[in-house]
Amino acid sequence: MRALFRKEKMWQRHKLKPRYDVVVIGAGVHGLSIAYYLAKNHEITNVAVLDKVYLGGGNSGRNTAIIRANYMTVEGVHFYSESLKLYEELSKELNFNLLFSQIGHLSLAHTDSAVNGLWRRAEVNKALGVNSRVIWPDEIKRMVPALDTSDRPRYPVKAALYHAPGGVIRHDAVVWGYARGVERHGGEVHPRTEVIAIDVKDHQVTGVRTDKGEVIRADCVVNATSGYCTTVSKMVGVDLPVVTHPLQACVTEPLKPFLDKVVVSANLHVYVYQTDRGELVMGSEIDPYSSYSQGSTLETLESIVAHALELFPGLRHVRVLRQWGGLCDMTPDYSPILGEVDGLKGFVLDVGWGTYGFKAGPVSGKRIAELIATKRTPDIIRPFRLSRFREDRLVSEKGAAAVSH
Amino acid sequence: MEGARPTNSEERDGRSKEPSPSELLDRSKMLNFEFNGRRMSAFEGDTVASALYASGVRIFSRSFKYHRPRGLLCVSGRCPNCLMSVDGVPNVKACTERVRAGMKVKSQNCWPSLEHDIFSVIDKIGRFLPVGFYYKTFINPPIEWSRVEWIIRRLTGLGDIEEEIASATGKGPKDGRSIISSSFEHLNLQADVAVIGGGPCGIFAALEAGNAGARVVLVDDQPALGGHLRYSGETLSIDVATGEGAYSGLKSSAVASTLEKAVRDRPNMTVLDNSTAFGIYESNLIGIVRGNSEIRLRAEQLVFATGAHEFPSVFQNNDLPEVFLGRGMQRLINLYGVIPGKRAVVVSNNDSGLGVARTLMDAGVKLEAYIDSRKAVGAPETLAEIEDAKVQTFLGWAVKEARGSKHVSSIVICEVDNEGELVHGTERVVSCDLVSLSTGFETEAWLLNQTGSRTIYDELLREFIPRELKPTVYVCGDLTGIHDLNIAIMQGKVAGLSAAANLPAMARSTELKVEYQRKSLETYSRLVSQYEGKYREGMKHTRGPEVLVVEYPGSDKMRKRFVCVCEDVVAKDISLATFEGFDDIETLKRYSTVTMGPCQGKMCSMPSLHLCSRVTGRSIAQTGRTVSRPPFVPVAMGALAGAELHPVKLTGIHYKHIELGARIMDMGEWKRPHVYTSVEEEYKAVRESVGVIDVSTLGRLDVKGRDAGKLLDFVYTHIFSTLKVGKSRYGVICDDAGIVLDDGTVTRLSETHYFITTTTGNVEFVEEWLVWWATALRLDAYITNVTAGLGAVNVAGPKARDLLRKLTTVDLSSGAFPYMNSAEGEVAGVPCILLRIGFVGETGWEIHFPAEFGEYFWDTLLEAGKEFGVKPFGVETQRVLRLEKKHVIVGQDTDALSNPFEADMAWTVKFEKEDFVGKAALVAAEKKEPERMLVGFVMKDSMVAHDGDQVFSQDGSRHIGFVTSSRFSPKVGRCVGMALVSPEYYKEGSLIRVKSDDALNGAEVTLAPFYDPEGKRLRA
Repeated sequence: MRALFRKEKMWQRHKLKPRYDVVVIGAGVHGLSIAYYLAKNHEITNVAVLDKVYLGGGNSGRNTAIIRANYMTVEGVHFYSESLKLYEELSKELNFNLLFSQIGHLSLAHTDSAVNGLWRRAEVNKALGVNSRVIWPDEIKRMVPALDTSDRPRYPVKAALYHAPGGVIRHDAVVWGYARGVERHGGEVHPRTEVIAIDVKDHQVTGVRTDKGEVIRADCVVNATSGYCTTVSKMVGVDLPVVTHPLQACVTEPLKPFLDKVVVSANLHVYVYQTDRGELVMGSEIDPYSSYSQGSTLETLESIVAHALELFPGLRHVRVLRQWGGLCDMTPDYSPILGEVDGLKGFVLDVGWGTYGFKAGPVSGKRIAELIATKRTPDIIRPFRLSRFREDRLVSEKGAAAVSH
Repeated sequence: MEGARPTNSEERDGRSKEPSPSELLDRSKMLNFEFNGRRMSAFEGDTVASALYASGVRIFSRSFKYHRPRGLLCVSGRCPNCLMSVDGVPNVKACTERVRAGMKVKSQNCWPSLEHDIFSVIDKIGRFLPVGFYYKTFINPPIEWSRVEWIIRRLTGLGDIEEEIASATGKGPKDGRSIISSSFEHLNLQADVAVIGGGPCGIFAALEAGNAGARVVLVDDQPALGGHLRYSGETLSIDVATGEGAYSGLKSSAVASTLEKAVRDRPNMTVLDNSTAFGIYESNLIGIVRGNSEIRLRAEQLVFATGAHEFPSVFQNNDLPEVFLGRGMQRLINLYGVIPGKRAVVVSNNDSGLGVARTLMDAGVKLEAYIDSRKAVGAPETLAEIEDAKVQTFLGWAVKEARGSKHVSSIVICEVDNEGELVHGTERVVSCDLVSLSTGFETEAWLLNQTGSRTIYDELLREFIPRELKPTVYVCGDLTGIHDLNIAIMQGKVAGLSAAANLPAMARSTELKVEYQRKSLETYSRLVSQYEGKYREGMKHTRGPEVLVVEYPGSDKMRKRFVCVCEDVVAKDISLATFEGFDDIETLKRYSTVTMGPCQGKMCSMPSLHLCSRVTGRSIAQTGRTVSRPPFVPVAMGALAGAELHPVKLTGIHYKHIELGARIMDMGEWKRPHVYTSVEEEYKAVRESVGVIDVSTLGRLDVKGRDAGKLLDFVYTHIFSTLKVGKSRYGVICDDAGIVLDDGTVTRLSETHYFITTTTGNVEFVEEWLVWWATALRLDAYITNVTAGLGAVNVAGPKARDLLRKLTTVDLSSGAFPYMNSAEGEVAGVPCILLRIGFVGETGWEIHFPAEFGEYFWDTLLEAGKEFGVKPFGVETQRVLRLEKKHVIVGQDTDALSNPFEADMAWTVKFEKEDFVGKAALVAAEKKEPERMLVGFVMKDSMVAHDGDQVFSQDGSRHIGFVTSSRFSPKVGRCVGMALVSPEYYKEGSLIRVKSDDALNGAEVTLAPFYDPEGKRLRA
């Protein structure tokens, strides 16, 4: 309780130093967790995290904060399940309540082939020790009474993948918690500091330049950006197989609690959950066109809401309070790009996070930090190396990640 | 009565004796409705709030966090204070919701009642709930978040939708229909000029644009146009220079009516009243909500006349019921004939407070005091009138706190020094039962900002005013930060004339008119800048301290100063959050939740900005504002969704399946028979005599043109340019990574005409894909989707030939019509394309015919087949039949990583072609060891595996893959299936384990089909 009334600054405003051991571009959950674990696990504290906008102003503040590990591929399940475990302990670790609610996550199937897909995911999950099982309409009805499980809808619910440890977290709190952790361990966080160029000499990264004209020296620069990961990589001439698409979501006015599961329907391209504050958060799959616009469209809002009403017909008079958009860096196989780049020393990628980046913040931070500190690529992130595209060793999570959550 | 103030009978009838001409009421019509179970009465035209207030209700809601009593504040739908449940719909704003006879209104977020809410105890412990409380607590055992969350969760939220959910999911008390029979719809409109806001400047903009010949849509959220003219109750003084001098000396509400009639009478004008524009999207698409409808308005030019709204200043207990915003008070009095109280105080820092004082006096309310933080006012004559009426005036004073429990009973005022600080020791108590705040305007720039136009903070006007307008965007009126009717009228005219003049294809009537308009535009533009200059000069003279947030030593001790009434954020929260490091307005918002509630910052954005700027020492302009996201007002999900229409595709034979008692399943948008009688029976018919299946859902494409073969060679992995006319060939489409996207048959009907079938769900994709490549390669090939036009039936089984022979003269003998051949001819008198293919592994023909013959064709087949024991069969039987043949279903036996080699279909890839989509990737893939292979397997015991089961090595130690399809095979007598497994198991007789129902069951790999491996039967 004492901490509650202590007036403490979470972070300071710093002046940029001329030299850091590591510069991380992007102060979202990925960039901050890299800096945090560099300091905490590897005692590398001369680190600066820079961001073009405010803390968590990219996708860390725009995603819908769903955490789960029920992926489709073996590589994916291993990776996201480590992240889920880190999230479970993170409030204690950071001494900051991240409001992680493990309310359980339901992926609905409305077609035979979708049921098969869920079954496959459930079985892969079980085989790898992740708590998932297929449940049928009777049990779904008991878990989510507000859901229309009758045969009245155009595409009635046939089954669901129930992933009990899945849930939602206060996404901004994760950012703030890590940012405070970085500062307490001696790192620095610099919002509103845009990197406009990365210096390279003899195939070795040497530093960055900012929009305010500062030149900072660093032998290791991490690209932990979203939306602009391609443009940042272009600064060092690295082409990424990434196309950026908008992804939109919306939130309603607060209601008394009636829904305590995350409900996702890939067939209907929608997901819905209710926050602790009572608001309903709803989102969609990525917009079908590529764009750098974070604006919202009426068409997508209409589609999200119409699909949500197919699931929850009792919500017609509930009002949408706010809609927003984020930018998703889509890779061909719906898996991220992690690790070093062949032929360029000191440039580390933590990008290509499509619609699944927030879930993976802690694990990628921890493992990228390990890579930077030990100069060895940890096995758990090796499948996600950039060169997999050249080697044709893709890790397809399309089946489990195409609808974002 | 609940929420009501103890009153005598005279006060309970809280209406003016004489109806005023500005009223929206029809006092001859009474309506009854229910409020918390009690019968209430209202006049036609009343809102729920006005009727309740007139009946003595003062507490309208309990606040989100502290459950403090809240009363009417803005009376215009801008604040959260009057949210109620109406006919089961939660969070309805009582101040804009019209009373309908018989409606049931309930209060929210309180228990047991509005007047006595036990949760208000939270208010008492409020100082133990600082900003970020939850982030700083419940971290470690024993009181971890996971243990307390459910309690906190139950305390939050506002409206309740249990009733609606119950009725929508069929558990309702009535007949399972929604308790409100609402129909939602979408409407589409187009305009040359859209004017948003129907106040005086919006009306003049619309009139001028209309005069110039533009088609205009005027959008206003009120039931009656005219903006503040409707309720300000003033006598207008209008300069001749504006061109509207004739209105001078008239009552504002009368002028509003005249102007409203003028716009409504215009033929090229559409007036959308009661309509709120909620979002401006790409290419000037305006989202508008009107009742249960969403209107999408697309306009060439946009005029924003959205005005400004008031917000409360921040002092202790500023949230007490009966503390009103000035314009809200005026609305209540002048639009609804309500006498809001007996002894009022007006608190102001701008000239609009003087108008409110007048309104109160005119309504017969005793004015106890007029308090203005300025030392001089802009309308001294009005001040003189107030003083003449023996009202105490306090110039250079501000309010420090409001007192009272549940209702305001007095206020404490203090002198203000030049820096805007309260002077210690000057406190005076003014007793009152009503407080009106005219403490500041915020320009309603929310929608304007969504166009990408900017607003900047004007230090003189103390408002964010429009700058750097995007092309096609115009602004006028209060939105410009200038609150002057003469200027507003002229700004409106300039906006309307400019919008019309910039229309790309303006239907210009005559040169003379154009010239006249050009001159008017010049004149008014010049006048506007002159008048604006004068206005700004005047502001400099009257300008005094603003006093938005009252600071006072010990001001936070026990009494809260509310910044945000939606989320119960107090001044101390903002200061603390800013100190803690949330000094960026965007992070401040997310941490303190200020501006994130139902009003989305309309009440709190300016005060929180002031507080943030005070703590950081940055100016308001440097602090900036958060992004204005749609919607501007909360919009019902039903309205956004519109009529809920879900397309269903039925084959031409569908109703025959129903007659036959088939169980129907969904396949994409199509409906298909799953099974008619039983899989066993249907299977037996196909294997032993003959079966028929409706395959009209297959995608069918005609590809014609000189280069049709070349196109198919490029898109498919196989070769089709060498296919002989009359032949069919199986084909696979891959993407550029070599991953299988679709499969089907390609039949050459003539040198330049191919007939393609695709899988049911993929026809639109294949069509697009072919068109894209035909275009990209500049080929002479034309693709027509003929799916809807053609029905199709597969007739299969050893007796299929016998059956069809009865109906056609086409030679069906194996010599004349071998496997993978085609013919065009008549069957049962219907022109058909016959393909000899064998998905189910028997002698069979897939017959395509004009869809309109579907029922006749089907009946004729069944009739002719009677003697052979023909049976219709469904999708499930077909799945078993094809699985016995190991025929792959793309998307089931392949996934997003499968190339043709893994799918055991290497024979479909022809590398001898110069190039085709996916070639490079497939060349590479062929050279390396595949990561997995598709194999067949037979279960060793009676276990039936499930599609998606996982596969393990024989000793159970290694996870090696998963089952793609599996069914009980009548032929084998056990479960058979296909699985994608590690390549070392691609070997006849390999032993594997299938994990089914948590048991590892033995199975053996087979590479050949389970049924008729040589394919003799389908060639017979």
